Amino acid sequence: MNLHRVRRLASVLVASQLRSGRSTSDPKSFLGHPALIGVLDAVLGLLAFSLADFGLSAAAPPSSLLDPLVHAILPYLPTIAVAAVLVAGVMFELTSTTKFSGSDSANWLPITPREYVAASSAAVAYTYSPAMALFLGGMLPFALATGTGAVWAAALVLSIAALFEGAFVVEMVRSVTQRMSAVTAGRRGHVALLLRAVLIVVIIVAFQFAFNPVLLFGLLQHAALLDVVTAVVPLFWSTQALTDWLNGSVALGLVFSAAQIVFVGLLLVLAARLRTKYWLVASSEVQLSAVEYAAGHPALRAIGLSREEAALASKDLKGYLRRRELLPMLVIPIVLILIVVLEGGTIGGLVAIVWIGWVAGFFSLLLALSSVGQERRALQSLYAFPITARNLLRAKAASVLIPSLIGAVGTSVVVGFLFRFSAAAVLEIAVLNIGAAVVLGFWGLVFAGRFSDFQERPRPQYLRPAAMLGAMGSGMILVFAIVVPGGVAILSPVLNDLGLVAWTAGSIVVLGALAVLWARSGFDRMLRELPF
Amino acid sequence: MPAYSPGAPLPFGGPSGGPPLEVWQVSKTYGTVQALTDVSFAVPRGQIVGLLGPNGAGKSTTMKAVLGLIRPDGGTIRVFGREVHTDPVATKREIGYVPEAPSLYEFLTGAEYLDFVADMYGLPSAVRQERIPQFLAGLELAGHENSLISGYSQGMKQKVALISALLHRPRLLVLDEPLNGLDPRSARVVKDLLRNLATSEGVGVLFSTHVLEIAQAICDQVVILSHGSVLAMDTVGALQARAGLAGSGLEDVFLALTGTGDLSEVVSALSR
Repeated sequence: MNLHRVRRLASVLVASQLRSGRSTSDPKSFLGHPALIGVLDAVLGLLAFSLADFGLSAAAPPSSLLDPLVHAILPYLPTIAVAAVLVAGVMFELTSTTKFSGSDSANWLPITPREYVAASSAAVAYTYSPAMALFLGGMLPFALATGTGAVWAAALVLSIAALFEGAFVVEMVRSVTQRMSAVTAGRRGHVALLLRAVLIVVIIVAFQFAFNPVLLFGLLQHAALLDVVTAVVPLFWSTQALTDWLNGSVALGLVFSAAQIVFVGLLLVLAARLRTKYWLVASSEVQLSAVEYAAGHPALRAIGLSREEAALASKDLKGYLRRRELLPMLVIPIVLILIVVLEGGTIGGLVAIVWIGWVAGFFSLLLALSSVGQERRALQSLYAFPITARNLLRAKAASVLIPSLIGAVGTSVVVGFLFRFSAAAVLEIAVLNIGAAVVLGFWGLVFAGRFSDFQERPRPQYLRPAAMLGAMGSGMILVFAIVVPGGVAILSPVLNDLGLVAWTAGSIVVLGALAVLWARSGFDRMLRELPF
Repeated sequence: MPAYSPGAPLPFGGPSGGPPLEVWQVSKTYGTVQALTDVSFAVPRGQIVGLLGPNGAGKSTTMKAVLGLIRPDGGTIRVFGREVHTDPVATKREIGYVPEAPSLYEFLTGAEYLDFVADMYGLPSAVRQERIPQFLAGLELAGHENSLISGYSQGMKQKVALISALLHRPRLLVLDEPLNGLDPRSARVVKDLLRNLATSEGVGVLFSTHVLEIAQAICDQVVILSHGSVLAMDTVGALQARAGLAGSGLEDVFLALTGTGDLSEVVSALSR
């Protein structure tokens, strides 16, 4: 493996993630330089350290409080890092189209699969390192105060290894889903496309199960295997090592740490082999049944869309099931709902209602945030068609809200069944989830109309990273403002708790109306000039 | 209609009249890069106007401005007498456009894509049922229309883009290197079709290409852009005379006018 080549390629991949936005943006700007992330690591780490140190000095808690805190958080940081990189990877790293990945220069430059996997994983690990820097920086004063600075240093090393572990798994998912997208090549009919969609979703969910501590804990709990979990499952070896160290078992800690590092190395080998074996750059060729060339989409016309809007929405809805790069979007709500299902016995009804309300809103937000950027360069064709900003907004809203509302109602029924809620409560939960999905859907369109990223790059994104953070943060606040009071109202022993019901309904109407207005102005502005 | 020369006033017509396209003193800047400077030309009814120029000369920018995809910093663009930005939707109904590198929705089949385009232009079912199979057969895509576009070759994708530009029978065609990737037979079909549409239907065609033999063969006039400005605009014959190269091919005229005539030094340096 040529490390210089790996470093150069990783640097290009990181720059590709940073340089989103208009093609005319200054390429020499520091904001587009990979060193920016290193600076962010240092700044966030120092900031978190200073804040935590200040808090510790001001509060001066006794060691009887500090020790359990360090034991409860520090060992889990590497394990959580793996899951976080995998979730983020599924959302943001698998969005390259077959067309682009087929013509990616990495395919024809003299780069070995192992070098590519190492570089790509290093880029992913480096990109998500600021979050780790924040947590580790915040934990350092606590570790120093409890005399566990050496364990903190070990946690730092294992966390870096964990970032790579998550990134290698992302590479494995990338190769396997690429292979899955080719299984339909030469086949006929919509069943072939559906089969491909199901296979890709199942593969990603399976990887999520294998490398997500919450899901894995839930699954092992059901199988009554929890007692042996941390010693046997590689995902938990970092946690085991750090726990052993904190408990004074240095030798055992070293053994598990070494095992963890070896496991990460094995994942690199496995990920490289999967890329060698399964990386197919050919697009799949599927034959579908003949269309009638008729002005159609009666179901979409029935909900009030014009012919142009119905055609646009129909095109997007087909895309959700046919585009490999959009399928990971559908995995997120499945995984989040599985968490509720697996944890069903241990969480309360209110937590479940808030959780699924959050999932409904989050799913809608994600679809909306990607809805405009997923047009990629084909946006140019949309601009050339005789459609207005209003047409485009209504079509995008329909293509976001139709799957979101189906999901919102479906999850309400599942949770209602699991928690044995009454039919009336299930109906109220469904209405609440629909409200959350509508508000968050339009909130996502507010950002999508302004900050979408249309570039085809090795690491494409649908939305510029800063806008993604802003949309996620503000979206979370909005969804909780709706579902928490709504959930309390549904479970309130006082039937028809009017104050909470009025607050929830008012929030949905006011926030929804504002989001629609802002989304409309964003789309108006967007259609004025092609953004590339 | 006489050829326009840069700086000459354009005879703007009323909202319902006017030639298919009038571009008047259009300028566009991207940051510090001056992409277009006072570009003026027209596409008369029934004529094919070739837009030629070296890479980066501003051809695609000009075409995007005509479609209203980008807003010029200055100048006026009228399509059939109507300013592009006053009613962009109505203007786009009149235009068929093939971009330089068409990006199609690859998860749709060719037939689904063309049906989608027909919906965008509001074509009735009977019309699309008649026209789409005609175009598919004419460009030898029949039999492939129910496969996903992702499995098409570049030439097949280009044919789909061409059909989607022609489907609604536009009165102005804006074609950015439309023959890219086409096989000789399909290229011939497209060239003859454009000639026919211009002559018998009065369609105006703005056509960019780097293949100067094609421009010479089908264009009534050519506009040569260089560094964002119109360098010359006339019939091929007039340009040959102006360059003092009567009887030469358009390639020699182009190289002479764009100042890149003697390439022997470059070739010899690259051969070392």
